[in-house]
Amino acid sequence: MRRDWKFYSQLGLTIVLCLFIVVPVVMSALAGVTVNVFKGLSSGLTLRWVFEVWDLYAQSILLSLGIAMACLVVTLLAGVPLAYVLVRRPSRMMRLFEELLTLPVAIPGLALALALLITYGGVSGYRSSWLFILTGHVLFTLPFMVRSVAAVMAAMDMKMLEEGAASLGAGFWRRFFGVIVPNAKPGILAGALMVVTLSIGEFNLTWMLHTPLTKTLPVGLADAYASMRLEIGSAYTLIFFVLIMPLLIAMQALADRGKRASRRIDTAEDTL
Amino acid sequence: MSSVEHIKEGRSRPSFPLSLLPLVFGRATPGAGSPAILALLMLPGLIIVAAFFAIPMALVAMRVADGPDGLATYFVILTNERYLASLIQTLVMSGGVTVTALILCGICGLFLVRNRFAGRNVITALLTLPLSFPGTVVGFMVIMLAGRQGVIGSVTDALWGEKIVFAYEITGLFVGYLYFSIPRVILAVMASAEKLDPQLEEAARSLGAPTWRVVKDVILPGLMPGLVSSGAICFATAMGAFGTAFTLATDIDVLPMVIYTEFTRNANIAVAAALSIALGAMTWAVLAAVRVFVGNGATSGTGGGA
Amino acid sequence: MSTQIRLRNCAKTFADGTRALAPFDLTIEGGETIVLLGPSGCGKTTILRMIAGLEFSDAGGVISFDGDDVTRQSIEKRRVGMVFQSYALFPNMTVAENVAYGLKVHGVPGKERDARVDAMLEMMHIDMLADRRIDQLSGGQRQRVALARAIAVQPRVLLLDEPLTALDAKLRVRLRTEINALLRKLGITAVYVTHDQEEAMALGDRIVVMQKGEIAQIGTPREIYRKPQNPFVADFVGAANRMTGQMRDGRLHIGAHVFDAVDAFDPRHGAIIDQGAVELYFRADGLSPCDLDEAHFTGRVEAVSYLGERLRLTVSGIGPQAVTIDTHADDVIETGADVHCRVNADRLTVFPAVAAHS
Repeated sequence: MRRDWKFYSQLGLTIVLCLFIVVPVVMSALAGVTVNVFKGLSSGLTLRWVFEVWDLYAQSILLSLGIAMACLVVTLLAGVPLAYVLVRRPSRMMRLFEELLTLPVAIPGLALALALLITYGGVSGYRSSWLFILTGHVLFTLPFMVRSVAAVMAAMDMKMLEEGAASLGAGFWRRFFGVIVPNAKPGILAGALMVVTLSIGEFNLTWMLHTPLTKTLPVGLADAYASMRLEIGSAYTLIFFVLIMPLLIAMQALADRGKRASRRIDTAEDTL
Repeated sequence: MSSVEHIKEGRSRPSFPLSLLPLVFGRATPGAGSPAILALLMLPGLIIVAAFFAIPMALVAMRVADGPDGLATYFVILTNERYLASLIQTLVMSGGVTVTALILCGICGLFLVRNRFAGRNVITALLTLPLSFPGTVVGFMVIMLAGRQGVIGSVTDALWGEKIVFAYEITGLFVGYLYFSIPRVILAVMASAEKLDPQLEEAARSLGAPTWRVVKDVILPGLMPGLVSSGAICFATAMGAFGTAFTLATDIDVLPMVIYTEFTRNANIAVAAALSIALGAMTWAVLAAVRVFVGNGATSGTGGGA
Repeated sequence: MSTQIRLRNCAKTFADGTRALAPFDLTIEGGETIVLLGPSGCGKTTILRMIAGLEFSDAGGVISFDGDDVTRQSIEKRRVGMVFQSYALFPNMTVAENVAYGLKVHGVPGKERDARVDAMLEMMHIDMLADRRIDQLSGGQRQRVALARAIAVQPRVLLLDEPLTALDAKLRVRLRTEINALLRKLGITAVYVTHDQEEAMALGDRIVVMQKGEIAQIGTPREIYRKPQNPFVADFVGAANRMTGQMRDGRLHIGAHVFDAVDAFDPRHGAIIDQGAVELYFRADGLSPCDLDEAHFTGRVEAVSYLGERLRLTVSGIGPQAVTIDTHADDVIETGADVHCRVNADRLTVFPAVAAHS
């Protein structure tokens, strides 16, 4: 543990990078509660802008939360069984399907949105409902759920678990809900957090898919940035941060717990 | 339902579509679900992908081919001067951001994994903060940093009496792309740095290798798969990034902005579709090539639209 | 030519305050193979890493190679060859490139380097693998490459950290024999860390038995095996049977029986144990089955395992815990039967009972 100039120059760079990320976040949070940004903090602090945003955009914010929840339900129902099949039965066909499934992450949201608009744009009841946006979100987030669950399933020697359960007389559904799903819980949880976070923040697709009556939080944000005063945009951003922060913290905590658990196994072996 | 029952038992001749099941899933093995159950489990995902992704994409592709210029529309991105310039600009921009992010995050990620000091966890958490910020918010962050009321402007104003504002130029866009790239790359670098076997380094040092050699011969080769795959994700995200440019409302023609303009303002649906398919194909090709290069599962990191 | 290594007053306390190693002295003669033996967490690897230069001793410790103080010298300057349990081969290089790496770092010119690499590969019987990638090799082959890489640079000392632990039993024995021959041939000073008593016996000129960060005993394999200096060493090198007894006027009393020919020298106190409670440690040969009229004890057979050349019985009712006794392979003995046995007093190792000296 000798600390020389190399240590301090790397620390310096890391701190600069960190400031680059954090300073604008803090700035915008402050601007959201400042009476007048042009005059600075000396003009005093207020929650007026936050309330104003709520009056203007409560609908969008609630819609976003609703879509995120619906998206979570759909990706859970479709994604967890899918991950199981992909891990349990790897074949060339499955690979291809997985590739197809993951494609919406790789290709720009704009392209995806265009395809949906051209295909389903004419179905008026569907086009104008929030379900249309949900479709886009599900396409975009499903691969994350599947990957996250599949990663845990691949690491847990599912074959052995399942054969063990089968040898004790458990039928398929009993094994699936009694052994597979509980053991894949860390992956499911991580996937769920990811899906909700991504859905709340999704803009590329949503901007193309939304209608004036189906504005989501990020769409409202773009709207506010473009047409409202800086304080309103900032206050809105602040609300977004407040919504997203617990999710991010939960994700980080989950990742840390996983890391610590594996480390505990290591040290247990050391002291045996 | 009765034929499904038959398959479960593995006896009797199943009807035609069900007889395909073993081809996809292989034979039923004790311990795993039967092919019929596996098919049932896959069904929801299969429907979603087919109905809302595969078919729409195919329809769009056909729509473009049926357009006035036919298949040539796909090459408009190369033949039309404006589109080509935009493509080149987007490529250069994405490449530049990728390289910058890799260098910065490579150094900092390795540093954070290798050293334990007070505040380390906080710094790590803060660096990954913008992971799920939509592009619009990232754009707003750039405005906060380098806009008319931004930090940089205020500081330079106070120091030299001159406001430096670059949020609405290409520099601003670059900064924005860097902003959303950093968390993705730093997570990937840290993950692969944690997997580096410290004994490899010890072995190299025991053979007399000085620090620079250890970095060149052991650390960089070890990090390379992580760097390459996170670089690919970073590049792909930058290629498709729309929200940031949209919020900064610049006159910079990055490809996603061009597509958006063609679609909404010019109602030129065929061209917009062709451009977005070309963009999608290019992005996918980069990711696929990288996956071949570093082995499967490498690009499974954290994507997400920006 | 071989390097003598001296560690003086070395100790290791980690940053969080846990003491990994109590202060100790150790001299390793030039050309000697010393084995550090002990269970996980006993500090044996820490000593190895101290010699390597991967850990530094607490203040006050001095390490010297042939009289040169290397205490503060970093590993890359020390010229040590290391072999790891996980092989630690560079995955981005071929077998030959791995072996050549140290030579390259030391600036050995190309032609000489190639010749040296070829010679090393040949010596380790892996010349046909020269152009393979590491992930194409078996565990045994990998460890041969690791050995070749470590000795190619002609290090002053060869440090081996449980090099055979990751291999299967048969291969372990074979490679052990080869390593033994190699170390004798090279005449290099070597430090070998293991938790396997048999490996230690087979390889070491001397063995250092470690317990909880302290050296429990240093001695030749024969001394360690026959004259363990404390119950821990006795137990660790296989004398796992235990009985209790009393010394009275230099004679050993076990139950109602009295034995004369007992070696009751207590090396820790440098005196013969004359009086007091004692603990007796012994291997399977400390008791032998006999007829009832010759027997000292009768126990009950709990388990029988057939080992080929002999039959091993687990017997209860003799010591505080079950003891193991060997008998002829041809004997037919059932679980649950009574077994009579007599004590071979010259095979017992006597220690003062724990309460008496702690």
